[in-house]
Amino acid sequence: MNDLIIGMAGSGGDGIISAGESLIGAVAAEGYYGMLTKSYGPQIRGGESSCRLRVSTLPVLNPGGSLDVAVILDWDDFLRFGSELPVTEDTVIIFDLKSGVDRTSLPLNALWPKVLCGVPLEDMAIETAGVQQAKNSVILGLLAGWLGLSPDNLLVGLRKKFARKGDEVLAGNERAFAAGLGHARVNPLGRNLRLDRPATPLKQRIIADGNELCAKGAIAAGCTFFGGYPITPATEIMQHLQTDIWEHGGVVLQAEDEIAGVGAALGASFAGKKAMTATSGPGLSLKTEMLGLASVTELPLVCVDVQRGGPSTGMPTKCEQADLFAAVFSAHGDTVRPVLAPTTVADTYGLTVEAFNLAEQYQTPVILLSDQDIAQRKEIIDPVDPSRLSLVNRLEPTAAELQDYTRFRLTSSGISPLSHPGMKGGNYLAAGIEHDEHGAPTANGEIHGEMNHKRLVKFLPLRGRHDLFVMEGNPDSPLGIIAWGSVAGIAQEALRIVRAEGLDARLMIPKLLYPIAEEVFADFFAPLTRCIVFEQSHQGQLYRLIRMWVNVPPQFESYARSGANPLSPEDFVSQIRKLSRAGLRKEHADRADFLNPL
Amino acid sequence: MISTDATCAGTAATPKDFKSPLKPIWCPGCGDYGVLNALYRALAAIGRPPHEIAFVSGIGCSSRIPGYTTAYGFNTVHGRALPIAQGIKLANPELLVLVAGGDGDGFSIGGGHVPHAIRRNADLTYIVMDNQVYGLTKGQVSPTSPRGTRARSSVYGSMESPVNPLLYTLAYGAGFVAQGIPGDMDGLAAIIEEGIRYPGFAFINVQSPCVSFGEPDNQVKVQRTRMRKLAAEGHDPSNRLRAIELAQDYGQELYTGVFYRNPNPPPTHGSQIKALQDERKALKAGVTPTLSASDTHPTCC
Ligand SMILES: Cc1ncc(C[n+]2csc(CCOP(=O)(O)OP(=O)(O)O)c2C)c(N)n1
Ligand code: SF4
Ligand SMILES: [Mg+2]
Repeated sequence: MNDLIIGMAGSGGDGIISAGESLIGAVAAEGYYGMLTKSYGPQIRGGESSCRLRVSTLPVLNPGGSLDVAVILDWDDFLRFGSELPVTEDTVIIFDLKSGVDRTSLPLNALWPKVLCGVPLEDMAIETAGVQQAKNSVILGLLAGWLGLSPDNLLVGLRKKFARKGDEVLAGNERAFAAGLGHARVNPLGRNLRLDRPATPLKQRIIADGNELCAKGAIAAGCTFFGGYPITPATEIMQHLQTDIWEHGGVVLQAEDEIAGVGAALGASFAGKKAMTATSGPGLSLKTEMLGLASVTELPLVCVDVQRGGPSTGMPTKCEQADLFAAVFSAHGDTVRPVLAPTTVADTYGLTVEAFNLAEQYQTPVILLSDQDIAQRKEIIDPVDPSRLSLVNRLEPTAAELQDYTRFRLTSSGISPLSHPGMKGGNYLAAGIEHDEHGAPTANGEIHGEMNHKRLVKFLPLRGRHDLFVMEGNPDSPLGIIAWGSVAGIAQEALRIVRAEGLDARLMIPKLLYPIAEEVFADFFAPLTRCIVFEQSHQGQLYRLIRMWVNVPPQFESYARSGANPLSPEDFVSQIRKLSRAGLRKEHADRADFLNPL
Repeated sequence: MISTDATCAGTAATPKDFKSPLKPIWCPGCGDYGVLNALYRALAAIGRPPHEIAFVSGIGCSSRIPGYTTAYGFNTVHGRALPIAQGIKLANPELLVLVAGGDGDGFSIGGGHVPHAIRRNADLTYIVMDNQVYGLTKGQVSPTSPRGTRARSSVYGSMESPVNPLLYTLAYGAGFVAQGIPGDMDGLAAIIEEGIRYPGFAFINVQSPCVSFGEPDNQVKVQRTRMRKLAAEGHDPSNRLRAIELAQDYGQELYTGVFYRNPNPPPTHGSQIKALQDERKALKAGVTPTLSASDTHPTCC
């Protein structure tokens, strides 16, 4: 097989997550691609935890649907994750015999898996390592055997992990691992789980999550100031920057709240530096006023929003794409700010750089709309070469312009040179209050109109940014699919499945969500009679945003589900099939009601 | 441009160098005029050219003040001048960064930022024009209005006790706390200058009367007769406990001068950051950062 999904669940102390991390390290070392997603119960520490690892010979697009292998240390813990760890009768179930469950008492709702494999995990751990905590090392041994992974690669990870715990602990875990491996060798499974050799030659790949690459992208873009406040699932961006930024002459400020965090970043930008803040939904709400100030003072600023379940505190550890409206609209007055959404972990790197470039180019706040899934899942990706990035810096006044500097000069592009304190002759007043070309406060309607125009006209070139869209499939097909953020990878796989079945379709993945790139959408929609937008929110926010700005195909559908509900390629495939068979409507159906249109 | 940068190397700065062509919108007789003039004088004495000064404010009548100077001004949003100013100072420690605003701006909506600017010892000079009223929104009670104040938002008298800006900032640990009045121009200019020279967070409360909505018996002229100069009373500004004792009388006695100046100022936020940057740079010298396999061992954690 060339694609395998393993799900594991246990209690906090069982080391399920760390087993997943060892496993992704080992498969990376063998040249496979992979994606590791983790899920926890609501407890701060302890409680149930789970992870799913998808391994493939080709780049992995999404965490996938039902499991090929389920490793169950505790049935109650496993069942609590419900549809996050879906099993079918083809799922190989590996469980601890200690649980007392057998074929007759499976708590799987009358589902009868073909391969059921009880292993005395806890007994083996105690026998070999003296402690039941070594269960996860037994599991790694079992999986190495059944999947045909090199034990050496797993042992590297094991040694690294236990290096600081002392020789005794390491030796015990090595014995536990060997016991698992031995067990797998003498007890073949009823189903072959051996992975094909990787298709691409072995390359040194990296394992990273979206938050880490956001931080690295920021540094590559030249960011030297970060102001923020801890919030799940965005905190790691601040943490990564906190280790790396100082040597670049940069600063991380853990502020007293989100307002102060974005305020300090805006101050740094005013002082001439590239600056960023990062948060999640509740923090985005607090930053809103300051984002408006950045728009009106025309100062570059990058604000990352790692979306989690909302509204309000919502579901901090779950993924949702419901902050799009907030990212686009949450500031008073006539403002526009670019909103970008990365679609994969690797993409987060380049798109963070793009966010800085747009901010500098257009002297504007830019929102990078990541999501919990991309931000916290680990992917095995090909290394990125920072030297190939092209960086944009703000337009500064020339010496001649500084002789008679006019900060907010009305230009045809809407962009006027931006000075900063320390620059002689560039002195000006930046103000949230409406101002004339010189920065002097005004309440004149005519000037206000001109300034609004200036602040909006500068975004016109974004209408044709085809490079911020990924297109896949037949350009002439009348059937269209749109998906964004972490959902894009699911749609991509669904597209490949339906095309393999002979159903023609075309997929568009927008990374620039706002302003709506009217030209790109018009081109994409031109041949379409039907189109469906997949997203993880209740209202279908992108679907509605598109309808606000462009003419849509006659049959324009939304498939939107609230966050924390897993979306799978199979699910999307059936939606696409349904749409392709549905009778074509003559006129566009009215979808004015704001409930989920499906 | 609305501001000029007249100080040239070699010639001594004059107050005029810091005066912008914008005409203040303040009511005639507003205390803020005096604060502005005292500031011009203090800046002339300091002698930094205007383009090396960033002047940040919030929103309110008083917060209009940066626009009336030739410095780089940033008239931000209500209550948020301090965090923005800290970002500016950390981004470019060479700048002289001033912050100003009203009592509402600093101790109501922005009150949460004050202790943090102080605990970081941000190297800023923060001037609050304390008129015990919301001037710009035309006369509501402010966090420093005395209890029982009858204002537009409290026609039957306010029910809250006022906050004490002097006591607050002293208790938070500010290294420089002073108070002045616009009627005592020399004294106020001297305090502002001293605050700017203090290496760290300097707080200056200016009892700056509002002629339109303030107490008629607390205006510029009256204040001059009421004021008690701390220096004349023999106060030793290195005595923090005595400073706290004197600060208790906020609202009753009108003390002017320096309540407290820390004789051993702790390191500023900026100097600690600079030290860390230098240390990390030295460690990483010669190592080109790349996002490559070496950064992340495949066995991640
Ligand atoms: C977020 C926000 N809330 C309310 C206001 C309205 N507002 C402007 S100034 C002000 C109070 C001003 O009082 P103060 O800070 O004491 O300054 P003063 O005008 O007295 O100098 C208020 C409530 C605003 N601009 N922004
Ligand atoms: S309303 Fe009061 S504070 Fe505002 S300008 Fe007039 S006198 Fe000054
Ligand atoms: Mg006031």
